[in-house]
Amino acid sequence: MSEPVSLPMPTVGRLGAHAPKPMRIVLNWGRRYSLWVFNFGLACCAIEFIATSMGRHDFMRLGVIPFAPGPRQADLMIVSGTVTDKMAPAIRRLYDQMPDPKYVISFGACSNSGGPYWDSYSVTKGVDQVIPVDVYVPGCPPRPEALLQGIVKLQEKIAGERLTPASVTAREPSAGLAPTPSYAVHRTVAAGEVTRALVRPPAGSGSTGTGSGR
Amino acid sequence: MPAPSTAHPDRLEHVAPEQWHEAGAAAHATGHTFFDWLTAVDRTEAATDPGFDVVVRVLATGPDGIRGLRVTTRVAEGSTLASLTDVYAGAAWHERETFEMFGIVFDGFRDHTGDAESGLGLRPLLLPDGFEGTPLRKSFQLAARASKAWPGGKEPGEGHDSVKAPSRRRVQAPGVPPPEWGPR
Repeated sequence: MSEPVSLPMPTVGRLGAHAPKPMRIVLNWGRRYSLWVFNFGLACCAIEFIATSMGRHDFMRLGVIPFAPGPRQADLMIVSGTVTDKMAPAIRRLYDQMPDPKYVISFGACSNSGGPYWDSYSVTKGVDQVIPVDVYVPGCPPRPEALLQGIVKLQEKIAGERLTPASVTAREPSAGLAPTPSYAVHRTVAAGEVTRALVRPPAGSGSTGTGSGR
Repeated sequence: MPAPSTAHPDRLEHVAPEQWHEAGAAAHATGHTFFDWLTAVDRTEAATDPGFDVVVRVLATGPDGIRGLRVTTRVAEGSTLASLTDVYAGAAWHERETFEMFGIVFDGFRDHTGDAESGLGLRPLLLPDGFEGTPLRKSFQLAARASKAWPGGKEPGEGHDSVKAPSRRRVQAPGVPPPEWGPR
């Protein structure tokens, strides 16, 4: 056995970074209509995602190609369902494995904000605490048409993008998150990085018990 | 298809905490060899004998159908209970879950992990690494509404130009942080 060859992450290359505007339009036009999607299905919203991929709604007509073999082959991650604090590190890890440029759609009330489980001790209050989100689709669960609209919104966003390395990294770190290096492929995330410590009652309040404010 | 003949209620038994293991072993000896589940109920706000109700349900299966047996005991806060894992090996996950959710310690817990002498012991099962607290206790505050910003109303009737007075709709359920925790 020979030593494994370390290959760099595939990028859209210099052409994308320095292309003149007409060429950039063509490149973005190509990218926006070939979104390989990776479905992070966590709850009932994943069923609506599947419905969107089936014959009646058929998001392949928008160029969204489901069934990417894994995050390393995907351009778009759709987080559909309830994100728990225990699942959050896995989401972050798989997001980190996706090659740039990468996009995230948060699908449904739970992954937008925690939704009906907002008071829960175990549910993350929105997947945007863990990874940057491009488009939020509201609803509980949203109808497939809502996801189609979200995809169209994302495609509009991609159409207006520049692809210099600086502009790709600029959209990476979102508020409150540790800055992600652009090509953080082999980075592992511990649960402690994305969760918060126990909340103590305020001093002198006389109230008992501790709580989880995550 | 014949109608299932299992729709009869369980036999209920309440024992003192020190008889807990004895009751479990007796249940196993009388044919209740199928372990169903074990959990706890927070009764620390009960007027008499506050504590945690630990419940175990075991089944006896046979040609005459299924007989259920439900054994409960009331454990005072801070005291321990004998583990049933030597009688029902399947109780290990349930006792770990009861331990992490309610903070009830089961003495003599063995789940055939680690070294034969002590095993890995009671340890969290479901909660994320580093989670602090026992979230299914009523004293555990669900502090999200006090510690996280939220643009809208947190209770039905709040957050809109509602004709209902929202102040009368405060939720007083256990776990909702009291007002001194902050805006909620």
